[in-house]
Amino acid sequence: MLEKFMNMDRRIIFILVALVVIIPTLIPIRLPITVSEPTQKLYDFIEELPSGSTIMMAFDYGPSSLAEPEPMAKAVMQHCFSKGVKVIGMTLYPNTPTLADKLMRKIAAENNAVYGEDYVFLGYRPGALQVILGMGTDISSVFETDYQKTPITEISMMENITNYDQIDLLLDLASGSSTETWIIYANTRYGLKIAAGVTAVIIAQMYPYLQSGQLIGLMPGYLGAAQYEKLLNAHGDGTVGLNTASFAHLLIIVLVILGNVAFFIHRRREA
Amino acid sequence: MKRQVPLALCFLFGIAMIFTQFSPHSYSQDVYKEVINWGLIISPFALVLAVVTLIQTHATRIRLRTEHWQYSLIVFAGMIVMVLFGVPDGPQNPIVVWLYDNVQVPMDATMFSLLAFFIASAAFRAFRARAFEATLLLITAMFVMIGNVPIGDLVWNKLIFWIPGADNPESWVNSTADGASWFRQWILDIPNTAARRGIILGVSLGVISQSIRIILGIERSYLGGGD
Repeated sequence: MLEKFMNMDRRIIFILVALVVIIPTLIPIRLPITVSEPTQKLYDFIEELPSGSTIMMAFDYGPSSLAEPEPMAKAVMQHCFSKGVKVIGMTLYPNTPTLADKLMRKIAAENNAVYGEDYVFLGYRPGALQVILGMGTDISSVFETDYQKTPITEISMMENITNYDQIDLLLDLASGSSTETWIIYANTRYGLKIAAGVTAVIIAQMYPYLQSGQLIGLMPGYLGAAQYEKLLNAHGDGTVGLNTASFAHLLIIVLVILGNVAFFIHRRREA
Repeated sequence: MKRQVPLALCFLFGIAMIFTQFSPHSYSQDVYKEVINWGLIISPFALVLAVVTLIQTHATRIRLRTEHWQYSLIVFAGMIVMVLFGVPDGPQNPIVVWLYDNVQVPMDATMFSLLAFFIASAAFRAFRARAFEATLLLITAMFVMIGNVPIGDLVWNKLIFWIPGADNPESWVNSTADGASWFRQWILDIPNTAARRGIILGVSLGVISQSIRIILGIERSYLGGGD
């Protein structure tokens, strides 16, 4: 019996995972969310920005991991547009421009933001390091045109923006190591303030930068998105995703505990 | 010549870029901007190199009929279609956008989503407390996992309710409410940050020493083998 349990058909586990993902998605359960300090700091920073300020959002994730950074991007953009904070979008990933452009347009339309006045999407240029350093001296030397091929000198929002000196914050939405590159080259070299919204799997890497003040705020995956949505009082994809993740986490923990209990009983019997 | 010229260029640009970091003089900053612009021009060539390598790799697979060589045909088909429609109009071409939205995004998301199933299965089979270190890792991972989702505190608070005295608001038991997220945060703030900082310092010192070796021409492996 024990042997049978330990060698359980993995398809049973697959079905259990499918169920804990599907059921909470279809039947939303409102779990209590406590806002963590790093998310609160990011919210407060944007909240205190005067209308007309500019933040840059780097969409540094691909389609494979969009489930976590996208709700964070949505929540922050919603906050910015409601405050009159302008948003410049760009990406260091070659397969993200279509995704980011579509997302920005969708959130902008929901918040009555106008392209070229309230937000702009610059797109992608190859060479992450050169792009980050190049924008520090002159954004137009890196992005001569926006994603729609409009020269950025013709975009009203970009009239008074030359480099990082006119940008109040860079928010890196990342699923890889891009945040560290932004910190090393944009924060250290040009003093650009940086915050990050990263997938939960890389959150542990960000804590030294948070403690040193190189990151002014941090959103940890679904949890960060749900916390930000709570601060905005607008429950969205982050809250739904966090509910699903909650039950999936719980299932994995239960499986690990059961696996270990079975392992110890089996070892005692063998001894 | 094949070695001396790259070594000389590496030394020259390495020293020049270090110098520009410490000199605010306008001439120094002009050199810095110019080199960055050169870098921006050179960077796209890496993409060309990547495409050439991709073609070479998959062409070889098809020619030698290696295992699953048929998939290489799909690689070429995908690449040709995207180039045909993407190069003339750019990524905004409706067909490119349609293919991106309906092929690439769902496929990428599916590949990544499959991880959840395999992680759950692997966790059940392989995550065992066989030794002290494994037990420590297991407990830490479980606290970080459960503390990362709100259901963790919900379960924790229900569990501590059973401890005698929990019904008294003044009891020490109540001060441990939301313990799952508190413990997760403590792990991330203290042991994790300390360990990560050590790794960052070690890696950074390694990068600095390796950079000096490359600039001075001591480390030449980047030039490749042969002469």
